[in-house]
Amino acid sequence: MILFIAKRLASTLITFLIVSIIIFLMMHAVPGGPFDGNDMPVSEAVRAKLMAQLGLDKPLYVQYFKYMYGVFHFDFGVPFQSPGETVLELLARAWPASLILGGSGMLIGVPLGILLGMMAALKRNSWVDYLASAVATLGLTVPVFVTSMLLILVFAVWLEWLPAKGWGEPRNWILPIIAYATIPMATYARYTRSAMLDTLNKPFVTVLRAKGLSESRIIFQHVLRNSAIPMVTVFLPMFVGIATGSIFVEAMFRVPGLGAYFVSSIRNRDYPLEMALMLMITVLFCLSYLISDIAYAWLNPRIRLDGRKS
Amino acid sequence: MLGSAMTPALELRQLSKDYAIRTGGHFIPRYEAISVVKNVDLVLPQNKIVAVVGESGSGKTTTGMLALRLIEPTSGQILLHGTDITTFDHKALKPFRRSMQVIFQDSYSALNPMMTLAQIVAEPLYIHGIGSSSEQRTVALEWLERVGLHRNYGQRYPHELSGGQRQRVAIARALILKPTVLIADEPTSALDVSVKAQIINLLLDLQRDMGLAIMFISHDLSVVRSLADNVVVMFNGRIVEQAPTEAIFSDARHPYTRSLLDAIPVRNPRDRRIRKFLSREEIAAAIPRISNKSSNGLETQQLVSVSKDHLVEAIVAA
Repeated sequence: MILFIAKRLASTLITFLIVSIIIFLMMHAVPGGPFDGNDMPVSEAVRAKLMAQLGLDKPLYVQYFKYMYGVFHFDFGVPFQSPGETVLELLARAWPASLILGGSGMLIGVPLGILLGMMAALKRNSWVDYLASAVATLGLTVPVFVTSMLLILVFAVWLEWLPAKGWGEPRNWILPIIAYATIPMATYARYTRSAMLDTLNKPFVTVLRAKGLSESRIIFQHVLRNSAIPMVTVFLPMFVGIATGSIFVEAMFRVPGLGAYFVSSIRNRDYPLEMALMLMITVLFCLSYLISDIAYAWLNPRIRLDGRKS
Repeated sequence: MLGSAMTPALELRQLSKDYAIRTGGHFIPRYEAISVVKNVDLVLPQNKIVAVVGESGSGKTTTGMLALRLIEPTSGQILLHGTDITTFDHKALKPFRRSMQVIFQDSYSALNPMMTLAQIVAEPLYIHGIGSSSEQRTVALEWLERVGLHRNYGQRYPHELSGGQRQRVAIARALILKPTVLIADEPTSALDVSVKAQIINLLLDLQRDMGLAIMFISHDLSVVRSLADNVVVMFNGRIVEQAPTEAIFSDARHPYTRSLLDAIPVRNPRDRRIRKFLSREEIAAAIPRISNKSSNGLETQQLVSVSKDHLVEAIVAA
């Protein structure tokens, strides 16, 4: 187990390095630079001076090694678009809003989706099932910015119950969190329904019935754990989504989270911030898959982490 | 709970199961009932093995599930040692479930992949609250040995076993509550020939030791011949012939039974003949008729007695 985790961490480091090279090259392969925009024209001389100051006139490999040296010392540089703070300070400022939005959205959406999926599977082909499937399909097909606009229209404009935008007080949080929660809820409702139906049709469940175990015990003691694997599979990429924020939801409700910086860092060729954000996603993805592999092994004895044939 | 020695272990009386299938209608659906099992009368005497044979879709598995009260019958009665359990609810049924158990064809999906073998075999004791958990474990390990597995296997998981070993586990789990009726739904169909023989011998040994009545659902007539006391042939949800095993093999009367017997592979290639497989229409046309073509046109399909204990379906004119 410890050996497995150590191996996976080592491979995470390798992935991290490869991804950093690819992103760095892609960033610089895109035409244009941080001072080529039209909104703040600078003269050729000033531009050259700025580039030299930021080290952007050096060969790419020098820039890369310099940046990565910083990364391994937890120095991600200074964002061009906000030179008054470091990249880490910017993340510390913008991340909490994204975390609250995504975290609460998942906390509400996942249990609700599992409940919906369970009800649909247990009352198969009844109105409960049709309703749950309709909700799940709508949640997956209607884009989240449309959901957001509907929520704003109904609860902010017509009913005037809640503010349409902002992030100052918890009242502001309600609508964006509901909008965000529709995605995990819909995804979970669908996966839970199909995984449970699959397990419920297994003969070992029939044997339990034949032995007189009550239906609720069959569900909670045997079926749920056997249905959990697909749920773990979808959970972890979603978990990364929490940390990175939902660009659309944040934009619709003017939430001062991380989402907006993904767009602005790319548009403004803000190399330090762009690199930092991408590397953060990489690490989160690698860690989330490590966690899901450990969860698989716990859930399913057929999976052995050490690669030994059992 | 047990009746007298003469009471059958399990008796099915006029048991039927209909399913509604949608046959049309755009806004208001139209449904039609199709019978999967039709008026089945079946007697499983104590301490005997009755084989139920027939092709896929003949209703033999449904009959087993009906007998176990895992599917609700449309009409008819199920008697377990003389007690009519047809209308018992979950709670009333629970003590009766102890005396009736089941094993399936697919031994892999019949075992919870997340439980160790000791847990799986002990589960019935847990469900019925028999003994402390350490006693349950001890009994489970004894049963693993009794079905021919080493007690070390208690720590293992189902995926670590071969098909035959898994079927042994399923048998141990079915018999740990000391039932008097076992419904075996094609327990050997997924096994290769040598393992098949081992499992059949195990079942026969345990049947003799425990005085089990077994309803052996199968399409494999050579297996049936080696272990069944009586054979019941099902076709289209009906029983078309039933008789002591030797009578079925030597004196089959129903065209469907004969075509099943014809389907048994012949050992010697020289004896291989061009075999005839009858279609449903041909079988329907060849059902024996009794008396002349009826004068008033009223005809019924029913089981008639050919000799003692040998019943065959025939068209009887009123």
